[in-house]
Amino acid sequence: MNSSGDRPVVDVAFQSSAAVSVAEKVDRAKVLQKLRLGDTIFRHVTRLAAITVLVILSGIIGSLIYGSIPALEKFGFNFLITESWNPVTEQFGAMSPIYGTIMTSLIAMLIAVPVGLFIALFLTELCPMWLRRPIGIAIELLAGIPSIIYGIWGLFVFAPFLQQHVQPFLISAFGDIPVLSTLFAGPPYGIGVLTAGLILAIMVLPFITSISRDVFEAVPPVLKEAAYGLGCTTWEVARYVVLPFTRVGVIGGVMLALGRALGETMAVTFVIGNAHRISGSIMAPGTTISATIANEFTEAVGDIYTSSLITLGLILFVITFIVLAFARLMLMRLNGRLGQ
Amino acid sequence: MSTVNFTIPVVTHAASSASDLSEKVTVKNLDFYYGDHRALKNINVSLYHGKVTAFIGPSGCGKSTLLRVLNRMYDLYPNQRATGTVRLDNDDILEPSQDLNLLRAKVGMVFQKPTPFPMTIYENIAFGIRLYENLPKPELDNRVQQALQRAALWNEVKDKLDANGLSLSGGQQQRLCIARTVAVRPEVILFDEPCSALDPISTAKIEELIDELKEDYTIAIVTHNMQQAARVSDFTAFMYLGELVEYGDTTRMFTTPSDRRTQDYITGRFG
Repeated sequence: MNSSGDRPVVDVAFQSSAAVSVAEKVDRAKVLQKLRLGDTIFRHVTRLAAITVLVILSGIIGSLIYGSIPALEKFGFNFLITESWNPVTEQFGAMSPIYGTIMTSLIAMLIAVPVGLFIALFLTELCPMWLRRPIGIAIELLAGIPSIIYGIWGLFVFAPFLQQHVQPFLISAFGDIPVLSTLFAGPPYGIGVLTAGLILAIMVLPFITSISRDVFEAVPPVLKEAAYGLGCTTWEVARYVVLPFTRVGVIGGVMLALGRALGETMAVTFVIGNAHRISGSIMAPGTTISATIANEFTEAVGDIYTSSLITLGLILFVITFIVLAFARLMLMRLNGRLGQ
Repeated sequence: MSTVNFTIPVVTHAASSASDLSEKVTVKNLDFYYGDHRALKNINVSLYHGKVTAFIGPSGCGKSTLLRVLNRMYDLYPNQRATGTVRLDNDDILEPSQDLNLLRAKVGMVFQKPTPFPMTIYENIAFGIRLYENLPKPELDNRVQQALQRAALWNEVKDKLDANGLSLSGGQQQRLCIARTVAVRPEVILFDEPCSALDPISTAKIEELIDELKEDYTIAIVTHNMQQAARVSDFTAFMYLGELVEYGDTTRMFTTPSDRRTQDYITGRFG
């Protein structure tokens, strides 16, 4: 109480102004104390909620690491670069699920990013008013379809369609072109990495579209008018004004979609073929990390088998983390370059 | 403030110079609708080459709407339409066959808020030029420099052309937008309250700039600031509730307005 010297002066001023204020002051102090208690509780509750997230996250990381110790002890770093996955001899390697995970997500992104951005640009810049809502609702509905439905649709409708109509065409069309002929080598199974990538593209499309649409709509109309005022076409406005202005939001949406594609389990498990091998052709069956875990958890007997699956989970976690970190880094560099 | 006492000698400016005025833009019987709402009522006005025409009037009277007709900016939005004729030289720009990109290259616009594009200062200017011309790099550099000099911004930004346009101050951003507009070499420049978001010093700079630019262009400016209209314009149009109440030589408009409403507005009795 260093400031005690100042206090009486204030009190005197208070008391001299009106006699009633003394009684009022006591009441007010009580009320304030009550409020202060509420504030303290509020502070602790919010802090607890925030800490819960950290606890859960570190719990998951901890148990993943703990669970993967047996496999890592046995295979070491070779786990990452071994292709074979043999439950009988208990030789496990994560190479082909990692390849499958990255490849399917890459295919999905290659298709979904441009298509999603074009849909969003059409909706915000070109679409007549009456058509906006129907398309918008259709996109939201697409996002609402459970992944199991994509899975059975993919297996029973989409894969046979690809097998009969699309894949034979691809095989013959690219048959003479050096790199593409390997990438699209037959036979047409229907199911495989390409099919899984296409299904994933459909699944992440709504994310990319709806996030980009929201950020495109947030572009100030006057900025677009300024560009149109110079005589820009709609394409030029979209390319040079709308996209640069919204790049942070768009990249955020793409990363969210990529995160979903990397971890998507059910639909991929249905259509990827679940073969533990890496093939040069994207039409060959393969597997992903999440598909492997979903398929084999029930039959995993023995510590090493179970531990190998948990290690796969850990790897998926790390991949997702790297993707997020990379996205952050990219955004920081983008902003840094422009904000000089 | 019941009587207006200006000491400026009333020169019959408009009458004496009428012979050497060349009409650049001629608006005839223009009506404008936002859906069913008639926002402009039978507007007739001319903009002259080498002159600044100011549009004044209370908020919502249709000044900005009129400006947005002159480059057909309203076309971006559904349910907005204009009827009548607006001639730019001898073209009716309201014709559906009018090439809008070409029109907007000829009729540049500077907005109320500065609108630098999300790119570098250099690119902000070069962007517009590249839309129409495919210039080799040294020539493009030259054009960018000219435009920035024209907008009195060159000395302030010549060492940081690679910085983001958004890193400039508000006044600088607005001059950047003027430079961008000038760089495309338009014939008409529309200013829609260009100073309303700026401080007095930046405002003075922009006004000076308008005065310098008017020799080569046809300029229309919408403003809420009566002093500004008096300072920068040669002709003034007073609009009220979608009508063009009075139009004429600026000096005359501010000294001996012929319409009661104009007089009330410029003396600050309403608006």
